[in-house]
Amino acid sequence: MGTETAPIALVTGAASGIGAACARQLAEVGYVVIGVDLRPAPGCVAAYELDVADASAVEAMVADVEARYGPIDAVVSAAGFYEWVPFLDLDDSHVDRAVDVLVTGTANVCRSVLRRMLPRGQGAICTIGSELGLCGDADAAHYAACKGAIHALTKSIAREAAPRGVRVNAVAPGPTDTPLLKPEMRSPEYIESLVLQRLVDPAEIAAAVCFILDVDDHNLVGQVISPNAGAVV
Amino acid sequence: MSPDAGVAQPSDRRADDRPPSRPRRPLRGISGRVALVTGAGQGIGRAIADRLAAEGARVAVNDVNPLTAAEVAEAIGGLAVPFDCASRAAVIAGVATIEAELGPLSLAVANHAFMTMAPFVEESLDDWQRTLDVNLKGALWVTQAAARSMITGGYGRIVCIASEWGITGWPEAGAYAASKGGIIALVKSAARALGPLGVAVNAIAPGVTATAQLQVDADAAGLTYDEMVAVYAGDVPLGRVARPADIAAVAAYLLSEPAGAMVGQVVSPNGGSLT
Repeated sequence: MGTETAPIALVTGAASGIGAACARQLAEVGYVVIGVDLRPAPGCVAAYELDVADASAVEAMVADVEARYGPIDAVVSAAGFYEWVPFLDLDDSHVDRAVDVLVTGTANVCRSVLRRMLPRGQGAICTIGSELGLCGDADAAHYAACKGAIHALTKSIAREAAPRGVRVNAVAPGPTDTPLLKPEMRSPEYIESLVLQRLVDPAEIAAAVCFILDVDDHNLVGQVISPNAGAVV
Repeated sequence: MSPDAGVAQPSDRRADDRPPSRPRRPLRGISGRVALVTGAGQGIGRAIADRLAAEGARVAVNDVNPLTAAEVAEAIGGLAVPFDCASRAAVIAGVATIEAELGPLSLAVANHAFMTMAPFVEESLDDWQRTLDVNLKGALWVTQAAARSMITGGYGRIVCIASEWGITGWPEAGAYAASKGGIIALVKSAARALGPLGVAVNAIAPGVTATAQLQVDADAAGLTYDEMVAVYAGDVPLGRVARPADIAAVAAYLLSEPAGAMVGQVVSPNGGSLT
């Protein structure tokens, strides 16, 4: 089928929104795309159903992907969720779930693939942060804090991995037209507050991700790229 | 930047002619468009002009040195438009020439730069003024003239080349760092002004890059060019300084149509030296 020579991309959160857009564009570029999500990711060569917060499930999935399809060349860590809770109403379950999925989940995926990429001396990872991790978010302190943690995690891993041939960067999307978007972010008042006066298209995030993963083309290491329509300048 | 005086430029051209191991498509929105690259007679500017021509753009090659502008234009099939970016009138006339010869601009890269190095307390007024005139005012004049050409069509992409030192500062390059930090603030303002009009403006802050400009650093440090490159590479997690082609790849992305949600951002191709 010719897929033996095509590079392999692993995309978490591939069933919807930004993850799905990334999976689609990577497939168009020529990657064999493996999708990971809580539910089956459509349009992928293979779809794994698991929670990235579960480290052993992630490890087993990565081992299975490499055994079946070959070495993973590129990773997009997009699995996540967005909920809004006023700060004083945040309880352990909100905070734990956000940390588990967003921060630990990203770390789990990076760890399992880096175990294999680092000895090979090549590979590229793009995590998904958020403009809210840069500027904060009223009513979603736990989400913003976790996205900020993803940025710092990405920079740290990047510094560790770059000397060993693996490149790690992040994309921090602005308000993107996906099912996760907070309804207030569709209001005319909010849209008008953006420099571009429009939401970001998921395809624009995917284009940034595809560019970042093309590490033969550039020397980006530990950077956070912000296609955000001017939400944070 | 002083004209190339025969200084070794080991990485000015794409070092690797091998095909990319990763799949790549041409960037959407560059082919067929008219592009201006300033300071494109050598170094990063030349690499950007090369890349844009390879992506199918019709490239206007600017340099203050007419000889290098002509040489690069000849090599890539572009139009040589030599002028001094420090002169607002010269920039306006240059863009008018491009419009007459190639049509309205949709892509522009303000890359030209001038740099000297001196201990901070010995910074001369002449160097300070020349650095700000060329780098900061020049970026404004180029952005302004290019934007005027783009606004009519309601579409454009502008990239200004700043510097990592414009973020971190540098003890012996106060004027250069100030001019580059100024470019970052200029880009953010221009992006806010021009974004609603369809023109996306962003900055690139390269880390140390292997161009003739490094000879200035080498001379200041009493090292050879290659020794200077090795010293700088030691501070980069990636283990090497940037190639001009690395910076050109980022420029090409920011000039592409799908990068339209990038507004007033600073992208730092530096191998991880500043994250």
